[in-house]
Amino acid sequence: MILKKLSLLLAVSVLTAGAQAQAPVPLQLELPKPLFAGTPRPISLPNLEAPRAGKRPDLMVPAGTTNLSKGKAVTSSDSLPVIGELSYITDGDKSGTDGTYVELGPTPQWVQIDLGAKAKVAAIAIWHFHSQARVYHDVVVQVSDDKDFKTGVTTIYNNDDDNSSKLGKGKDQAYIENFEGRLLDAKGAAGRYVRLYSNGNTSDELNHYCEVEVHGALVK
Amino acid sequence: MLANVRRWLPIALVAVTALWLRTHDLDVRPMHADEANQAVKVGALLERGHYEFDPADHHGPTLYYAALPIAWLRGERNLEALSETTVRLVPALSGTVSVLLLYFFAAASGRRAAITAAAFLAIAPASVYYSRYFIQESSLLAFFLATIVCTQRWWRSGNWRWALVAGVGAGLMQATKASAPLFIFAALIALWVVRTNSFQATRPKRDFAVFLGAFFLSAALFYSSFGTHLGGLSDALRTYAPASGRVTEGSGHEKPWFYFLSLFGWQRSGGLLWQQLLFAGFALGGALVALRHSRPFLRGALIYTTVVGIALSVTPYKTPWHVIHLIPGIALLAAGALAAIPFRRVAIVLAAFVIFSQWRQTNLAVFLRPADARNPYAYVHSSPDVRKVRGLAESALANSPRGAIRVISEEYWPLPWYFRGLDRVGYWSLPPDDCDAAMILASAANTDAVRSRLRGRYRESFLGLRPGFICTVFIEESP
Repeated sequence: MILKKLSLLLAVSVLTAGAQAQAPVPLQLELPKPLFAGTPRPISLPNLEAPRAGKRPDLMVPAGTTNLSKGKAVTSSDSLPVIGELSYITDGDKSGTDGTYVELGPTPQWVQIDLGAKAKVAAIAIWHFHSQARVYHDVVVQVSDDKDFKTGVTTIYNNDDDNSSKLGKGKDQAYIENFEGRLLDAKGAAGRYVRLYSNGNTSDELNHYCEVEVHGALVK
Repeated sequence: MLANVRRWLPIALVAVTALWLRTHDLDVRPMHADEANQAVKVGALLERGHYEFDPADHHGPTLYYAALPIAWLRGERNLEALSETTVRLVPALSGTVSVLLLYFFAAASGRRAAITAAAFLAIAPASVYYSRYFIQESSLLAFFLATIVCTQRWWRSGNWRWALVAGVGAGLMQATKASAPLFIFAALIALWVVRTNSFQATRPKRDFAVFLGAFFLSAALFYSSFGTHLGGLSDALRTYAPASGRVTEGSGHEKPWFYFLSLFGWQRSGGLLWQQLLFAGFALGGALVALRHSRPFLRGALIYTTVVGIALSVTPYKTPWHVIHLIPGIALLAAGALAAIPFRRVAIVLAAFVIFSQWRQTNLAVFLRPADARNPYAYVHSSPDVRKVRGLAESALANSPRGAIRVISEEYWPLPWYFRGLDRVGYWSLPPDDCDAAMILASAANTDAVRSRLRGRYRESFLGLRPGFICTVFIEESP
């Protein structure tokens, strides 16, 4: 009887020890400490993205598609930009040099282009700022027939992955600005107004636009 | 009583304005890499009570020790508790003291001009900007002005106690930054050229010995970490080898000879206008007054500023914070020009124009665009983006069982400051074999290699370390 109890106790002990040996434990990593270094050097990198081999893949659009936004009226959440004019966004100059971009204040801001009439939008090309490698945060692009964007809103692009702009969580990848701009497939979204949001960038808290082109065809 | 009020009220107002400009919203700007680097050293000193001077890449110890009493007063006992406001109060208070010292220095040759010069220094954009910046320059300037005020008092009174305090001031200069001898040398040249017959010392050799004793003792106290690290004494001399290498070779901070002059000129950058033409114009007028008339004090300011200006300009290594050593002299010259105007009301109106013009620039540089790459004082500055990193890390650590943060980047300051208090953070300049963690920050150069070594599922986004330097943030997705 005693022998039986001792055997049972031994078996329980071995099983417990075995279970303990298999229980997950936090991974203990040896982490290096930061090194103290001198003042960082100024750098000037035109583009941090690895250069793509060849030209940008073509975006196929319906025949007869034109740039509908050229010269069209632009409004914004920041109606009095400190630098530049809202009209720069649709003036056709996308060079990105001083005097060709508009600078909107910090915090989330939007610009809105009135196409003048309802249109089927095939593609939207955006140049925020491309004289320095930077990424604009929480970029959301929408099309709507409602100038207040309360109803009938189609979201073309959204990289706000934590929904900090309260427009819904986006799945699109953020990107580094370059001279080619960002070309978005609007897939024929219909509406008279195009609104673009952003929330600062990796260099500062401000929002910039050199140019926005809305390509499509007016709905007859 | 009324006479006392009339005598002290103007400089009191100037001092209060200087203090407000230097302490208001001290945390409005993200930490620069150099500030973060030095603040982490203060944290180590707070926690361990021990400091050792590093002659390779750091300046003198006074900055770190000066932050201690402020941290204690604010109840901050370790690195995690240490705040940006606390460490920046050191240069802010130094900058305010400099304004008062300039007044006391200049008052001997005219109280109105002294108040004007103090007001110009109080409002100057670079002076305000770098008095809110946790680096050595503001303290170095304050110790320098204290030294020359005491030397001036000794010269005129012959009292050895002024020589003693001047020696302490010079010793603290040396214990602040290895470049201290340049400013003492320039001041000696100016003194030698414009020396007056007001010299009253009866035992100058004894007084000089007192000065030297105080100088060596005060410098040695700090470099030896108050006697706990005697190796710091030899390191204080050894620091000149790497420092002279940096200064003469430029080490990535080379700029044209007219760089410092250009900061007082007119420049437009990305739609923002930077100019100090009125201030610089009156300073030029003051230089003419100094050269044409017998004004030894103004002439001394001109000689000192010229010598320092030439020395800084011919040195390939240039960083914008050095410009604050030119501003007291330029302020004295500009005030001297206004004092030379025979019509007092005209001079007051012109001084108001200068102050208004300078205030607009200070407001733009310090409060509106403090970390903007177009701001000539925001040198290689951290992006406001870095402030997001703490929240991202805490959120990632809460959601991930791996419980570590990896920074894999050839440059990563000021991130260690923003990660202070988190003990599971590691730094690599190249990707290790195992890159997985709760959150990984990889520089653009390391991003592809890091991505290829990750085994878990990650969400990617971007974070700017500073303009032109972007990191990819990998955050492990919940299983």
